[in-house]
Amino acid sequence: MSDQESEFKVVLGVIGADCHAVGNKIIAATLISHGIEVDNLGVMVSQDEFIAAAVEGNADAILVSSIYGHGEIDCQGFRTRCEERGLTDIVLYVGGNLVIGKRDFSAVEETFKEMGFDRVFKPSVDLDDVVRLLKDDVYSKRLPPSYGHNSGAFRGKQFDELRFS
Amino acid sequence: MTQNLEITNTRLNDAEFDAERETVLNSWITGSDVDFRAGVARQEALQPEMRFSCALAEAEATGRTLLQPRAGVALIREHTALLNGLAPYCDVLPTTVDAYTRHNRYREAQDGIDKSRAAGTSLLNGFPAVNHGVEGCKRLVDSLTKPVQVRHGTPDARLMAEITLCSGFTSYEGGGISYNIPYAKKVPLADSIRHWQYCDRLVGRFEDEGIRINREPFGPLTGTLVPPFVSHVVAILEGLLALEQGVKCVTLGYGQAGNIAQDVAALRSLRKLANHYFLSAGYEDYLLTTVFHQWMGGFPENEARASAVICLGAMTAKYARATKIIVKTPHEASGIPSMEANQAGLQATRQMVNMISDQNRIETPEITQEIEIIEAEVHAIMRKILKLGQGDIARGAVMAFEQGVMDVPFAPADANAGKLTPVRDNYGAIRVFDHGNVPLPKDVITFHQEKIADRAKAEGREASFKMVVDDVKAISASKLIGRPAA
Repeated sequence: MSDQESEFKVVLGVIGADCHAVGNKIIAATLISHGIEVDNLGVMVSQDEFIAAAVEGNADAILVSSIYGHGEIDCQGFRTRCEERGLTDIVLYVGGNLVIGKRDFSAVEETFKEMGFDRVFKPSVDLDDVVRLLKDDVYSKRLPPSYGHNSGAFRGKQFDELRFS
Repeated sequence: MTQNLEITNTRLNDAEFDAERETVLNSWITGSDVDFRAGVARQEALQPEMRFSCALAEAEATGRTLLQPRAGVALIREHTALLNGLAPYCDVLPTTVDAYTRHNRYREAQDGIDKSRAAGTSLLNGFPAVNHGVEGCKRLVDSLTKPVQVRHGTPDARLMAEITLCSGFTSYEGGGISYNIPYAKKVPLADSIRHWQYCDRLVGRFEDEGIRINREPFGPLTGTLVPPFVSHVVAILEGLLALEQGVKCVTLGYGQAGNIAQDVAALRSLRKLANHYFLSAGYEDYLLTTVFHQWMGGFPENEARASAVICLGAMTAKYARATKIIVKTPHEASGIPSMEANQAGLQATRQMVNMISDQNRIETPEITQEIEIIEAEVHAIMRKILKLGQGDIARGAVMAFEQGVMDVPFAPADANAGKLTPVRDNYGAIRVFDHGNVPLPKDVITFHQEKIADRAKAEGREASFKMVVDDVKAISASKLIGRPAA
């Protein structure tokens, strides 16, 4: 973490009983190198631990990883629980191998968007692209409501660009 | 972290074991069905073709290489069908246990079983052996025709060992270091070593009754740029810990790193070094075999490319004369594979193994040099561990991790220093970029530095953490070494 006060604060971790640490360490290093302040909770993080850290650190976003297949069980109700704890406009990302078996990514994406995640990423995503999207999403949440943007079209386009990477 | 430094590498006595067993069997409801005498009778009734130790001994004697997939789903019927679908393509079977059970979270495992039933498909990443209990596990073993092993990642696997060995599983993967450092966050190392002494002693008790259970410490650790000496030291320590508790059939593992010379050297040196330390400690009555894990890091998404990664592993394993190969699948990049993908991985591996098996042993100056380096590294660290533990390797291991004398790259455990940083050299062999507090000999450190400097020069950049990250991502992006884009 840099000594300077950063413009962006995120909470990062691997959810549930998942102990895959390699990607987590790489994501943390990449975010930090782009000037983002990271509260890295590491592996085996519960929903409550993510949310408590976000409340305490006044974070802009929660970045949830899951590579072991239980993501579908572990992530249920995440957005609702955030709202219950007063995190009404926090950016929620999830990425990894989120379900058991080889399921079409668009189906996986839909499942997790229904759970309230703003963006859903494959393990192969370019992290520099994630950083760009993250900064954009945090900025647009900060805009006053009257500046409302057409988030659906905006997001859809950027997502397709990511897909092939 | 406060460690229980009372830990010693001594055989658990019967009174201590029996008292502990009562607590273990009471830790979840299915524990009450465990009956050691019935387990012994059940093991005695198994035919030799259902025994892991027989398959390993036969392979060792004839030079055959056994193939084993990974597989596990939530429900008994589905898991049985999966294993029977894989059996024609492999020699020995796995039962991979789900991640909740690995952390003794049996309530969540039960929830996963219930949700899987409702969904009509497995929502767990493995077989919840503890929840299914002795009855369920027996039903599984009874429907199989090949030996079956428990494969998991459990720091406290005492109850699972009691249940599965009582049910007719004949091999048990894991160890107090290899199932803590890469698989847990906050478990003190002395605790997991002690819990695995219990598992080893249970295997020793079966051995006392004439029942041979195979034990396999988990070789690849984090599976990410692990230098061979790091996994070798863990394998040797866990082998010694197992032998002390009365285990007689030990399979030591190594995870493919990618450079063929280094990988062949690693497997050959593992056997030699382990025999050296086992015999020096006074153990003579054991069967040592080896297992080679195909690439454990990130895979290409494209299935044809993934098959190439699988075949490189198969070829290297056979050149190194591994007793067993743990086989990956073309679905690796997307998580839990289908049965068909698992069959494909096994078939590709078999084809490659068959084509290499008749060829002559390879000796190259590179292999010889890599063996010398690995031996020097392992001896230096083992010396320090013995010194720290004043001759006791259990105590020495705990202190070594505390002080960063032993250090596993990219591991999640708080018990691990995480200072040792590896990177590939210009030929893709894994070298030590930052040795942290690991007491490598000076000339060995210089060797690593020179190898890394060669690569840095070839790429026109300084070695850095960026280079390490490039290497971690390289194979999934179709290369061995993470070179900068031209």
